[in-house]
Amino acid sequence: MDVKIANTTQSILNKFPQKDKSNLIQILQAVQEKDSFLSPEAIGRISEHLRVSRSYIFGVATFYSQFKFNPPGRHSIRICLGTACHVQGGDFLLNAIKSELDISTGETTEDGKFDLDRVACLGCCALAPVVKIDNTIHSRMSVIKLKEILDGYE
Amino acid sequence: MEVKTGKNISIKIDRKKFSVPDGITVLEAARLKNIYIPTLCWLENLVPYGGCRLCIVEIKNMRGYPIACTTPVVNKMEVTTNSTGLKTLRREILELILSEHPYTCLVCKDKNDCTEYMHTTRKVSTTTGCNYCANNGDCELQDLVDYLEISDVKYPVTYRGIEPERNNPFYDLDYNLCILCGRCVRICSEERNSEVLAFTQRGDATIVGTAFGESQIEAGCEFCGACIDVCPTGSISEKMGKWVGLPDKSTETTCLFCSVGCTINVNSKGNRIINVGPKTGKRINPPQICVRGKFVPGDIVHHPDRVLNPLIRKGDKWIEASWKEAISFTAGNLKQYVGDKFGMIGSPHDYLEDNYILQKFTRKVMRSNNLDMLSAYPNSKILEQIHKYNNTFPPIELDSIKDTDTILIIGSNGSVSHPIIENRIRKAYRNGTKIIFANPYDNRTSSFSHNALIFKNGEELLLLHTLLSVLLRNKNGEETKNLKLQLQELDFNSACNQLGISASQVNSAVNLISDSKKLLILAGDGILRGSNCIDSFNALYNLQLLQKNPDNCRIMFLLSEGNYYGGTFTGLNPGLLPGFARIDNKKNLKKWSDHLKIKLNNTPGLSRNEMINNIGKDGIESLFVFGDIPGNPDLSGLKFFVQQNMFLTGISKYAHVFFPTTSFLETRGHIINIERKIKKTKQVIKAPGETRTPWKTLSLLAQAMPDEGFKIRNPEDIFKELQSQTDLSFSSNNKLGKTCLPVKLMPFKKGKKHTKKEGLEYNYFHYSGNDLSTLIDDIKKIKKG
Ligand code: SF4
Ligand code: SF4
Ligand code: SF4
Ligand code: FES
Ligand code: FES
Repeated sequence: MDVKIANTTQSILNKFPQKDKSNLIQILQAVQEKDSFLSPEAIGRISEHLRVSRSYIFGVATFYSQFKFNPPGRHSIRICLGTACHVQGGDFLLNAIKSELDISTGETTEDGKFDLDRVACLGCCALAPVVKIDNTIHSRMSVIKLKEILDGYE
Repeated sequence: MEVKTGKNISIKIDRKKFSVPDGITVLEAARLKNIYIPTLCWLENLVPYGGCRLCIVEIKNMRGYPIACTTPVVNKMEVTTNSTGLKTLRREILELILSEHPYTCLVCKDKNDCTEYMHTTRKVSTTTGCNYCANNGDCELQDLVDYLEISDVKYPVTYRGIEPERNNPFYDLDYNLCILCGRCVRICSEERNSEVLAFTQRGDATIVGTAFGESQIEAGCEFCGACIDVCPTGSISEKMGKWVGLPDKSTETTCLFCSVGCTINVNSKGNRIINVGPKTGKRINPPQICVRGKFVPGDIVHHPDRVLNPLIRKGDKWIEASWKEAISFTAGNLKQYVGDKFGMIGSPHDYLEDNYILQKFTRKVMRSNNLDMLSAYPNSKILEQIHKYNNTFPPIELDSIKDTDTILIIGSNGSVSHPIIENRIRKAYRNGTKIIFANPYDNRTSSFSHNALIFKNGEELLLLHTLLSVLLRNKNGEETKNLKLQLQELDFNSACNQLGISASQVNSAVNLISDSKKLLILAGDGILRGSNCIDSFNALYNLQLLQKNPDNCRIMFLLSEGNYYGGTFTGLNPGLLPGFARIDNKKNLKKWSDHLKIKLNNTPGLSRNEMINNIGKDGIESLFVFGDIPGNPDLSGLKFFVQQNMFLTGISKYAHVFFPTTSFLETRGHIINIERKIKKTKQVIKAPGETRTPWKTLSLLAQAMPDEGFKIRNPEDIFKELQSQTDLSFSSNNKLGKTCLPVKLMPFKKGKKHTKKEGLEYNYFHYSGNDLSTLIDDIKKIKKG
């Protein structure tokens, strides 16, 4: 088990000595805050502490969109699927990039380079379709343009 | 759900007046009065979930359409269960559910012909149902479609495209067929407390699954199969019997793998077992069962390696023989070994009837007391103590385990050895019972305990003595004087040190025990197979006597195999005649000599291990074994060795004759289970090939020897004989007294490492000694996992 994750998880769990499963969401939030995602190791430790199964915790966590289950990549790709971008082919972009990177939304590429997710309206609908990579907005994207841009990232 | 007030109230259902108990739900009230309301997610014994909405009804003065399965009845309530409006809505609901489920099989116009003639089986691919759904014919969706007369679904089918999972042992998963009723999730957590399954993701993407999509083994699945039984669709399907179709017979009988002796329902078609599970049309098997009871019966009974004919050895080859030939060959040889040269080893998975005849044959025909069982306890005196205990206190029923206030479980790996006891422990834990778990290593039970005493291997006796000595501190009566004296040398701190448990943990365990008004002690193989088993027994018994009210306290001895105790009861023991009558007692000897019309020898015979270790001249020259002896001992010194078993095994190479035997599903008889109940079993299918029961083999042999008294027609004859000669009501005077038993302190094993795992590495996955993990691949997988 990843020692760092085990330690941060443990120090968070120490703040919840009552082992009450109604604290689960709070614990998950705290762990995500520290580790930036929920790892199998962290969920395993929480499961031992609260005496509820990993499946149960995973079920609860996946119900809320706020929780992530993969470590963030070095760069984050956010494809806009707001109305304007959707109409202009945002989902087409998303599908193309999914198969290009071989991951789904919420996942990170195996080499840890990119993580991928969808967002709703980035506030620049006039430039649709829009993709945000880290903090840069790329406008009027096409699949070819997007691939070129991604190639430029290390 | 239980009735809360005991009062009755008056309600109207479909304009008819009824009096029903207060506190039940509208659905329960309707069922009570035989009024049908369609349901899908609701299931008896599970907490109502209110997910599918098919059970909607109309209730006067209530807005909308309340759901019957979660709405409690109140006085003067007026319910309508059936109206055009309801029917339309229910159809709408079902159609919506079906739009997510491959429904071709449900509404196809060829449906009826198809089931009968199967002429359209190739119409759709595997995962879209039709005759390719494993549940075809036993599907609640099919029933509902018929009831609501749905002939078409107006929504397009949205195929979810989820990859079916076929890598799990015992069952396959195809969540494309799942309608998210949540029954599997609920049975796994509410009833089994295993929590393997959960609803994951949200919205459209919701699916039943495990954390991070890990396999069922990784997620801690115990393969009890409860989820398969409750699923209304074909999403969870048992690998065995998957495409066989519907059973034509269901037989309720008893599982023999462990001493719990669960009631199991076996579905069969022709002479083939389809599965162990609920009857067709039923979804729940309220007495829950475990992986062995659920999956092993069909797999061993129809195992391709099963031997179906008698075999006689010619050099290093086996020659198939008729029973007649094999019997006369065997009888002729056995005649030469009458007396102490002969030994018999029987199986704790055989019936009372079989084992009674085993011992009768050995004592009467072979004139030998060398009798024992496979997997015999290292010290069989422990069985005598347990029998005395059984004569002293009435038994505790499985279902009352959850009503005790404190449980001490010691030396047991319950979730493997006795999963249904474990099931009750978990329920007790949820019920608020305080659980003290004492074992040399952590296991699944410890997460259902309030106090886990993980002590050094081999120190169970010291732990018990320490608990006793702390309990004795504030007891000053005459009755405990002796015990105090015997334990006075025990120094608390050094004991804790030696045990490797903190003083505060020991003290809190003692507090739980002494506060208890209804204590249950569960003693597992760590105690029963330990070399100090008798001393441990005494200590446990003293623990019971030190309770405020000893009569409210019970010790349950977790004997491993289904009929180990029963086998000993029939006299399959070197020192005990039937009914636990000691052979070195004059009265017993006379009684049984008279009954068997011979002069019995009063010296106890050799135990299983003694027989195996004394093969050769002046020792055992001929052996008869029912089953397999685990560990493959060297039997090459035997002059004549007979094996009766379902399979040829490691020891078969030494055998001169091999008789094919029946399994417990192919004959009938009785067992004595852990609740001390005499359970009758039924024959499920005909014995295949030339297999015969153990009692039959021996009665044929006896007649060929020849010997009188073995002209047995059926197992009932044998049971009657056993009943007339022994006390099966456990009311004999062979009791334990109400004073503390002597205990003796052992010197500390200073610095000695405890490497031997006494009684802890026992293989619970065997049937009559045959290792199930070598016979059944999926058992191997779960044993590793
Ligand atoms: S087999 Fe038993 S333990 Fe495994 S998922 Fe099904 S109900 Fe749960
Ligand atoms: S797998 Fe079966 S029991 Fe479980 S939710 Fe789906 S349909 Fe219901
Ligand atoms: S708990 Fe024992 S008796 Fe019950 S099904 Fe399992 S092995 Fe059979
Ligand atoms: S919809 Fe994409 S930026 Fe507004
Ligand atoms: S049966 Fe009542 S909501 Fe499903």
